[in-house]
Amino acid sequence: MAGTGTRRRGSRWWRAALCTTAGTVLAAATAACGTVARTGPADVAALAAQATTISETGSSLLYPLMRSWAAAYQRATPGVTVTTESTSSGTGITAASAGTTDLGASDAYLSSGDLVKNPALVNIPLAVSAQTVIYNLPDVSGHVRLDGAVLAEIYDGTITTWDDSRITAINPGLTLPAMKIVPIRRLDSSGDTFLFTSYLSTGNQAPADQAWNSQIGYGTTVTWPSVTGEMSETGSLSMLHACASTPGCVAYNGISYLGQAQAAGLGEAELANDAGQYTLPTAGAITASVDSFVSLTPPNETISMIDGPALTGYPIVNYEYAVVSTRQRDAVTAGALSAFLRWVITTGNEPAYVDAVGFQPLPSALVTLGKQQIAEIGS
Amino acid sequence: MTATLTAPAGATATAGPPAAHRAPRRPRRTRGVLLHTPGKLSALLAGLVLLSLAWGALGGWVAAQHSSAADALVPVNDRLSLDARHMYQSIADADATITAAFLASPTPPLGQLQRYEKDLATAHGDLSVLQAASGDQAEGTALGQVGGGLSAYSGYVGEATAEYAMGYPLTGGSFLQVASEEAHLVLLPAASTVFTRENAALDAASGQATGVPTEIALLVLAVVTGFVLYRAQRWLARRTNRLFSPGLVLASLMLVIGVAWLAAGFLAARSDLSRGIGHGSAPVQDLALASIGVQQIRGDAVLNVISRSGNASFQQDFVAASKKIGPGPGTWLGAAASAQEAGARESGGAGPSLVASAGRDATSWYAANTRVYLLGTHADYAGERNLVVGTAAGSTLAGYNALEDDFSNAIQADQAVFASGASEGASALDPLPGVVIATSLLMAAGCAWAVSRRLAEYR
Repeated sequence: MAGTGTRRRGSRWWRAALCTTAGTVLAAATAACGTVARTGPADVAALAAQATTISETGSSLLYPLMRSWAAAYQRATPGVTVTTESTSSGTGITAASAGTTDLGASDAYLSSGDLVKNPALVNIPLAVSAQTVIYNLPDVSGHVRLDGAVLAEIYDGTITTWDDSRITAINPGLTLPAMKIVPIRRLDSSGDTFLFTSYLSTGNQAPADQAWNSQIGYGTTVTWPSVTGEMSETGSLSMLHACASTPGCVAYNGISYLGQAQAAGLGEAELANDAGQYTLPTAGAITASVDSFVSLTPPNETISMIDGPALTGYPIVNYEYAVVSTRQRDAVTAGALSAFLRWVITTGNEPAYVDAVGFQPLPSALVTLGKQQIAEIGS
Repeated sequence: MTATLTAPAGATATAGPPAAHRAPRRPRRTRGVLLHTPGKLSALLAGLVLLSLAWGALGGWVAAQHSSAADALVPVNDRLSLDARHMYQSIADADATITAAFLASPTPPLGQLQRYEKDLATAHGDLSVLQAASGDQAEGTALGQVGGGLSAYSGYVGEATAEYAMGYPLTGGSFLQVASEEAHLVLLPAASTVFTRENAALDAASGQATGVPTEIALLVLAVVTGFVLYRAQRWLARRTNRLFSPGLVLASLMLVIGVAWLAAGFLAARSDLSRGIGHGSAPVQDLALASIGVQQIRGDAVLNVISRSGNASFQQDFVAASKKIGPGPGTWLGAAASAQEAGARESGGAGPSLVASAGRDATSWYAANTRVYLLGTHADYAGERNLVVGTAAGSTLAGYNALEDDFSNAIQADQAVFASGASEGASALDPLPGVVIATSLLMAAGCAWAVSRRLAEYR
């Protein structure tokens, strides 16, 4: 009887020990899964190798590059599917906030209001972009010069024709037609609108810019002044097509659509920077602008680079952001998303990808900050 | 003699093995001593003296605990709670002020900048006081977050100011947004944690100052002591044929005096403290919560102006917060008004009218905020911005300033009520430890005198 009792106690002891050991192993495994984003690349790769779909929606400006990233990443990482959708930056932010997409793409950083409402969100720069101002003046050769004040007065209806003295004054070598200006703007919640209206709000801080800033301001949506003949479009491609089919138009669009705009015979404006220099969005001008902001960029990478101090810089440059929640639905998604984002800000920033759409690679300091933010993604 | 008596007495009182096992180990001499009257008298002497001293020690300790808690209520607990509220308010006001100022103009008026600087200085000052007083690990962590966050916050605002000054308002604006994120996601939640814990500490201290359990324990000991004195007197009377022992009568009298004094002191203090807490401290806490709610509405309105992405509507939060703040039944302002009205009925004062003034200003301020959100809904962003960051009469800033003044005045009035009640309560408690200790010493002396006289008759 005593012996039986001893065997029972022994059996319970072993069972307890086994359970404890199994529990510890399980807990360790769970903990490892829970913090997969902070573990080594091998773990992430192993998780990413599982059949996973990463969904992306947002910025139409980033879309061409995102599409090529998605295709390349899927080839390099079997089992991972990246679905992309060209909508708008506002949609990207909203979808990421609501958790209906894994990755929201935005030309604009998250506002403090967005972040206070959705504290789990982070915005991670993926590449450097610029915005172009295009126009349809078939008989004009060379680049028309424009500045923030003139554009503000075009978009508020003060300047209505291309031969207005305020335009000709800054284009001394150019003969401009007495053609009516048709301003085209985005109707949807757009990062392009955020960048463009930011430029109109500051520009060279002329009275017209100040008036725009105080009366209309900047944002992904603004209350556009009513202008005779104005056109409203949704998405970058629609902006391009509308301008291509409307002589006298002026429109703003991401640099990733510049090639198509040029192919459609549209002109590309030289924009005045803060120093009063007129520049085109060349690689050198974009990089010069961004360089002056690198050391200022805070850890959450929220910064406006519009109309920066670089003498030779292009005035409308920005980081293209991935808006991501740091609390993903599961460890596998978190791991896959982290791996994809790390790939984008490193391999995806190589010339083979960014050159095709006129983007510039992220400065190395931004890659470091980006990796730190990506490390916060978990489940 | 004492050593000989003490050890067997303890052994007798202790539950242990059966007598059959224990008996051989007990010294025969001790057992003999206890069986005789001198031994019993010696034991009685020791027991009565010890009981008297125990009563004095417990009574003094309980009275000292209550007195110390009451003394600390106003200068320590209430002050820390107010400092925590100030710290929250200062941080929230600093962020709303500086953000609104730069939204209104890239060169904000000096007054707004000074207000921001003053807010930060107040927050730092409150933080230092709270850190010096904090013994709570969770609160220490939150205070550490506030300390680190304040440095980061002021750094971002400094960057923003520099960018604005250099003529880069957009970069400055983005730094202000980063600063606001730091304020809303790090600083204010941490400051809120500190405020909650300090409020809890104030409640606990109030409970300690007016707590009943230790008083009940004291009462039980007093009854036991009185019964033992009575039995001792009876026993001595039977042995000596003397009806009264003067020493034990003196001890009994001292016990009665001590208990009566304690009861009167506790009741008076309890009444004063309860009045101070109910009509002063409680409405202060309600007003503090209402003030924090107002800060949240103000901060959200400013953030809403910045956020144009369309998915960061703060309107629902505004409606929910305004329902909690009041005025009206079941709201913070309603509770503060009720408490103050009750206090005013007892003693008179300006409290109720101050809360009523806050209620009126809150109602008109809500109307202005409702207009703000309506303008935003109709995409009149310029109108929305002017109403939030403008300083003209009718702007939400003007209403907010008026409301904060109302809160400050009402809190100050309630503070005075609380300080008065707590001070009177503490005064009633102050002499109690001395009285109890003195009476217990006299009790012990009376017992010793009474029993030693009987003991001397056997020598």
